[in-house]
Amino acid sequence: MKHPLMLSIFVGLLPLFGQEDVPVFGYYESQYMGREIGDNTCQLYSNKLRIDLEGDLSDRVTFGANINYITYNGMTAWNILELLDPFAAAEVQGGTESHFIVHFQDRNYLDNAFLKLAFDKFDLTAGKQQVSLGTGYAWNPLDIFNVKDLVDPTYEQPGHNAVRIDLPLTLDYMVTALFSPEDTWENSDKMLTVKGRLGHFDYSLTAAEKLWVLTDFTQVDPGTDYFIQLPERRRLYGFSAAGELLGLGLWSEYGYNVMESSNDFYELVIGSDYTIDSGTYLMAEWFHYSIGKTAVAEYGLNDWMRSYYNQRKAISKDQLYLYLMHPLTDLLMAGLSTIYNISDGSLALVPMLSYSFSDNVEIMGYLSYNNGEMGSVFASDQGPGGTLRARIYF
Amino acid sequence: MKIRKVWKNNMIIGFPVWFAIMSMAAEITAQDMSGKQIIQEVNDQFNPQTSYAKSKMTIITTSGDKRTLVSESWRKGAGEKTLVRYLEPKRVKGQAVLMLNSADDIWAYFPRTGRVRKLASHAKKQKMQGSDFSYEDMGGGDAFIDEYSAKRLEDEKVDKQACFKVELIRNPDSDQTYSRLVLWIVKENFVPIVIDYYSENDPTLNEKQLVQSDIRVIDDLPTAFKVVMYNKMDNTQTEVNVLDAKYNLDLDDNMFTERSLKK
Repeated sequence: MKHPLMLSIFVGLLPLFGQEDVPVFGYYESQYMGREIGDNTCQLYSNKLRIDLEGDLSDRVTFGANINYITYNGMTAWNILELLDPFAAAEVQGGTESHFIVHFQDRNYLDNAFLKLAFDKFDLTAGKQQVSLGTGYAWNPLDIFNVKDLVDPTYEQPGHNAVRIDLPLTLDYMVTALFSPEDTWENSDKMLTVKGRLGHFDYSLTAAEKLWVLTDFTQVDPGTDYFIQLPERRRLYGFSAAGELLGLGLWSEYGYNVMESSNDFYELVIGSDYTIDSGTYLMAEWFHYSIGKTAVAEYGLNDWMRSYYNQRKAISKDQLYLYLMHPLTDLLMAGLSTIYNISDGSLALVPMLSYSFSDNVEIMGYLSYNNGEMGSVFASDQGPGGTLRARIYF
Repeated sequence: MKIRKVWKNNMIIGFPVWFAIMSMAAEITAQDMSGKQIIQEVNDQFNPQTSYAKSKMTIITTSGDKRTLVSESWRKGAGEKTLVRYLEPKRVKGQAVLMLNSADDIWAYFPRTGRVRKLASHAKKQKMQGSDFSYEDMGGGDAFIDEYSAKRLEDEKVDKQACFKVELIRNPDSDQTYSRLVLWIVKENFVPIVIDYYSENDPTLNEKQLVQSDIRVIDDLPTAFKVVMYNKMDNTQTEVNVLDAKYNLDLDDNMFTERSLKK
């Protein structure tokens, strides 16, 4: 085995296998990703093994963890400069080009490992855990921990180190407090959410604080020989709601961000969905990002790179996500996502197919076609791409 | 009219399913009962306050492929509150569905993303986990009484059992999916052993048929251990086999909350 750490983890896990109180399950995922870049079709293959452990150690104690092991082959080094439009690439400082190469390296990591204690009045979860906030499908203004992949927004997010308390006030109201420790108390993430229900609507009020670090990709810090980091405190105040109006599913999510040094900004999502009798599911979601740019000419290197590294949720101000899904047969689903960038007029079409091969085997694939002027978010010259994924659950 | 209830009602899966599976044995001299009285009698008895069931659901697709799901479900308040948690296959392990207000409010939980999603009422008509049961079918409540008008038809025999035949017509202001239902209810025990479901828009189009059998007595209560829903439009069927059932449990209301959904 290539990685001694994984070997030791596996050996350590062996006694747990088969024990009823700590069941072992997970999945193996094989994925192919291809994309046209210039005259080449660049390809990246990955294999992912995820092993989940989850057990009720007693009536009040739950343990959960998962270990991930991912290998890559094919084109494992991607030069982002080849994907940027020439205007943005012109801002790159000489001598920093190597920092724009992204390497996909084999890795193993503990994604979640937490203990959940159920007290009479509240639950306490401590450790690395999933933190999913907000009601939006493609964007979540309240979620300062994760940024979704627009092409695949339901893919699982990484775990976050946190201590979380869920305190029900009544059957319909619950308070959630979350603390995610960093090097100091001041730099640690804190969040407080109150969830409630009014009629057939769920709503939440959220306040959060996080040390937000932006990178200036146009300047190098001589001390670190890497780009300058710009940390600042970010305070978020927001709400979300989800329910039904006139027969349509309806949700909204709003977050106002008070920034310590840069400009304050807000994010807003409004979405709606409906399932027609044939089983066809339709959804639309609009995302407004107040600090987003409104035209291609305004896009700079930092906009692109910060978006790539999830330091901002979008480059431009307004985007629309449309989704259609229809069951072709009992086992085969077809879908089409359309991501329309209202600000620069570009769009991405993402047709997809998902097939249930057996009880525990899923095969899915999607393509992505861009249509937009050079330099736009979904520029036509950023050739078509696609992903084919098979996942086996065990 | 003299009705002596021998069996109390019980409930395992969902409203129409529930309706079909749950049985009461009653000695009755009720040849002149109206359709409304028959349905009221069945409804009164198939709504236990609390219940638990573990069941295996086998979906047979048009191509003959099978998909099997094992789930646990808890119900409270005559089907007003339902929590379903999936155990198998591994693909859906940990996913859960919470239905409140007789399935007017539905939440789905996905453990891999830790996300809870509220589903709008249009989702009630959709297939639950790809089966031939909709969320609405799996919900509960008094819909047969509140949302439909009952009419007794000529009695018939089903599998040599004398049955009441009752037609339910959807009320004009109702938002129920099915425009009409026809039930064959065993006279001896008021068990609806067959239910025909008719299209939302065409009262003559029989879309689904539910058949219950294998009645066993659990905790002194008769329980249907096999329920099959035939989807005549898609030529598919879903069979539910009850693996375990319990009644009259002490279920706290806190069990039917988002906190419990995530457990």
